Amino acid sequence: MGTYIKGSTIKLFALIFVALLLLPLIFRNPFSLRIATEALMWIGLAISWDVIGGYTGRVNFGHGAFFGIGAYITAILMMNWGWAFLPTLPLAGFGAGLVAFIIGFPTLRLMGAYFAIAMWSLALAFQQLALLMNITGGPDGMRLPTFLNPEFFFYLMLVMVMGTFVLLWYLMECASFGFKVRSIREDESGAMALGLNPTRIKIQAFVLSAVPAGLIGGIYAYWVSYIDPPSVFGDIITDQAIVMTILGGMGTLIGPAIGAVILFAFKTVFWAYLSDYQVLYLIILGVVIALTVFFLPNGVWGTINSYLDHRKSKKNDSLIS
Amino acid sequence: MLLLLPQALVDGILIGGVFITIAIGFSLAFGVMHIIDLAVGEWIMLGAFLGFYLTQWTNIEPLLFLPVVFAAFGIIGYFLQPVIFRVISGIKGDPVLMGLVFTFGLALIFKGTGLTIFGFYSHSIPSVFSAGSISIEIGNFYLTIPIMRFVGLAYAIIITIMLQYLLKKSNFGLAVRALAQNREASGLMGINPKKTSSYVYAIYVGISAMTGVLIGSIFSLSAQMGARYTALSFFVVVLAGMGYLAGVPWAAFLLGLIQSFFLIYFNPGYTLIAVFSILYVVLLISPKGLFGRGW
Repeated sequence: MGTYIKGSTIKLFALIFVALLLLPLIFRNPFSLRIATEALMWIGLAISWDVIGGYTGRVNFGHGAFFGIGAYITAILMMNWGWAFLPTLPLAGFGAGLVAFIIGFPTLRLMGAYFAIAMWSLALAFQQLALLMNITGGPDGMRLPTFLNPEFFFYLMLVMVMGTFVLLWYLMECASFGFKVRSIREDESGAMALGLNPTRIKIQAFVLSAVPAGLIGGIYAYWVSYIDPPSVFGDIITDQAIVMTILGGMGTLIGPAIGAVILFAFKTVFWAYLSDYQVLYLIILGVVIALTVFFLPNGVWGTINSYLDHRKSKKNDSLIS
Repeated sequence: MLLLLPQALVDGILIGGVFITIAIGFSLAFGVMHIIDLAVGEWIMLGAFLGFYLTQWTNIEPLLFLPVVFAAFGIIGYFLQPVIFRVISGIKGDPVLMGLVFTFGLALIFKGTGLTIFGFYSHSIPSVFSAGSISIEIGNFYLTIPIMRFVGLAYAIIITIMLQYLLKKSNFGLAVRALAQNREASGLMGINPKKTSSYVYAIYVGISAMTGVLIGSIFSLSAQMGARYTALSFFVVVLAGMGYLAGVPWAAFLLGLIQSFFLIYFNPGYTLIAVFSILYVVLLISPKGLFGRGW
């Protein structure tokens, strides 16, 4: 799983990071930067979904709830309590993590489909709650002060998503934590028999998946400067993150990033040329995910990877014989 | 406040009737194939629109089209089942997960198609029973029963009895029950698991779509209604216990009562929060449902 390119990995990351840092110098117009920022945002959401969905094997149909919690924490702290933007961000991440921690204890006991339905209903309950509470502005949403500086948001998102990516890469691909969550995905009782504490590891993974989503939600709220329950708690956030991850390949980190870029690039082109038929996008999402599940259950990156592995092992075989 | 109590009870039971039929097929399909179909609400939506257009073109009573809708969607379900079966029995990946994600994709396709073709507007299917209602007055108590809702309850009872009869008395039902118990063993006993599963899926899709027509004439229909009914259907199926058919009516009546009590006594805006919170809590306390008989 990507470990065999380990030697060049760090160099590759550094290269991508520098290239992204220089991006605002090349694309000077705000529109391109906006698209780049949103692409980064989706990469962040997809890889954070993958921590619980792909690595731990619990399909979370309520990931958008963490995004919405982060967005609303930032908005409420800024508008109702007069905080500056940057101090709200850690709290947005912390809030999402805390919610994940609290609901994780009971919810993560559930298996497969039960977990999916429970998280889905919980996310819908959060959306309804945001529609009804006074502090969130109800269905009118919240308007934040506008800060028109695309470079700032681009760099903030870049640092956040790259930081998340590197941290997750370390935890999932290099440290023992990755093996622990994967052993729980494959066989929970087996993992327990080997002396692991599944509850603890699952909650750690869940919090690890929720915190980046909350942080990204916080940035998103200040960036678009208007949030309402459908836009931050809506199904489409979770739906897109899932489709991107499955398209790219679950249980890897590069896969969801690739899936996010493919789908987001497609969406951008689609939005620009076919803005009259925006609901067609839903159909395309559905077709993409159904075809991926049917023909490429491992996703784009998983398929490439297994092809490379296959070729490598063939080469080794011929060397031996 | 007390004066409204009989109305709340009657409303709840009448609405609950329709909720039986949005969940009973789903529960059956889960019991046999262990598929969680995230598209259940979208089947209801598509069925409702088929009924709506048939009624518009022909101007005939929509309830007469119920068998047509059942047959049309039954055929779709029959041919869709092998595809879903291939997805959930693939070597790659966790079958439950793959099934969830695949039907989720189907739900997106149906929703997108519905919004593209039918637009965002809300419609209703006019039936001869739509306008009428029965008023009962006993002392200080007033009771209004819309006839259409009563028809809905009658329809639900008929469907439930027919399904029970089919499952308990016919050879096909024996095959379905055997299949739900043990797939391999039933195959050894001469049951064709693939074909039986296809028929079960056809029945499920057909019942769901047919119920859509009824929902369209009792409440309303729009292309966005799918998610709401998926949620309600999950609620009923989980509370009843996944795959435990006998629990479905009780869970459905409970849901109906929750809705009518929130509508009359509390803020109706809190209905969905209550529904989702109860669903969540029941899943945590007893994932096998209120009766502990589900999978």
